[in-house]
Amino acid sequence: MTCEEFELAGLDLGTLRKDDPVQIAAREHLRVCPHCAALHENWQRLQADLHALGGETREAGAPARVEMRLRQEYRTQHKTVKAQRVAVFAGWSLAAAAVIVAAVSWVNWQRENGHGIVQRAAVDMQKAAPGGNNANGTKPAGPELGETLVASNDTGEFTLLPGSLPGTLEDATVVRVQMQRGALDALGLTVNEERASDLIQVDLLVGDDGQPQALRLAQNTN
Amino acid sequence: MHIGAQERDDVLLRRSAKGDEEAFTELYRRHQAPIYRFALRMSGNIWAAEEIVQDVFMTLIRDPKKFDPGRGALRSYLYGITRNRVMKHLERVPREWMNQEIDEDYTGQAGQGFDVMTPAEWAEIRERREQVRTAVLELPVEFREAVVLCGLEELSYEEAAQLLDCPVGTIRSRLHRGRALLLAKLEMLRDGPRRASASR
Repeated sequence: MTCEEFELAGLDLGTLRKDDPVQIAAREHLRVCPHCAALHENWQRLQADLHALGGETREAGAPARVEMRLRQEYRTQHKTVKAQRVAVFAGWSLAAAAVIVAAVSWVNWQRENGHGIVQRAAVDMQKAAPGGNNANGTKPAGPELGETLVASNDTGEFTLLPGSLPGTLEDATVVRVQMQRGALDALGLTVNEERASDLIQVDLLVGDDGQPQALRLAQNTN
Repeated sequence: MHIGAQERDDVLLRRSAKGDEEAFTELYRRHQAPIYRFALRMSGNIWAAEEIVQDVFMTLIRDPKKFDPGRGALRSYLYGITRNRVMKHLERVPREWMNQEIDEDYTGQAGQGFDVMTPAEWAEIRERREQVRTAVLELPVEFREAVVLCGLEELSYEEAAQLLDCPVGTIRSRLHRGRALLLAKLEMLRDGPRRASASR
């Protein structure tokens, strides 16, 4: 073994078996080379020093306060995460509920604003028709022969115009118009002459033939 | 829930991530000591070592998903974080400070078994250890890592290679050079006072 080979192998000499060929060759070399013998002695001393230095802290561990701090941080972290999850869940639930409420409201509003009005008008007409379904015995809104016809905005019901047939009103359309009160006279209604020039809003129920069949004073008309 | 000693680290970490504090504590107790010693021996400062251990496990608390069991053991992952923290610490702290920060806690256990020695022998051994410690702390970081793991922690080359994520041959050559540098430094440290006294 040369000095160079000894230097390369020297690191592992302590870990090799006694009968290992490298170990035997190294021992032979140490006998004949004082330089490598001195180097080997230094290595062994350094090894012992490192072992002793390592021994000083061999059982060392982080102080207990580190564990306490970390566990505290762990709890805080997971409490925060839980709170965040609850907040997110609550937020999404509220948003979903709001969407559902809005959707239901919109559908209801659509129903009421669309054919709902017409259907209600038709039902009103049927109630008002002589001989119609008037089971609860209320007075029909339509005029009877010989009666004075007066438009009313108290009940919100349509008043049949003279000559209208209640049965034909199922597909009628509601049209809101603004007119002078005096124009009601042309529809066969009695008008107070003192207020004939007032502008009023009237809902007209227009039949398939384009003729008004019934009317109702709009709720906001005075 | 009971945690067995053989429970795998990745299983514990998964449980810890879900809020199982017991699992986290078990993980901490399993790994804190070697990590603390590595940080202490690399930095030479107990406060820095304490801070580094705290930082390493804080990372595990805050971002457990960063660990990928497919890429290696949790121990290697923790050592990787520790090395980064140690590097940052060494960059922050000037070298001359490190040698001044000789902590009693670090050297305090040096007296084990010294009660049968004379004060002179005790002082000589203590001085010698102090020289070795200083020489280790003055090694370049990559050599210091190898010396700390194989020389002080007495891990095998394979274990050290696994922890430092490098080939075994690299560990061997770093250790070889590290020891050569250590010897040279120790010679200088021993010769320094001699030269100083000779010049007087």
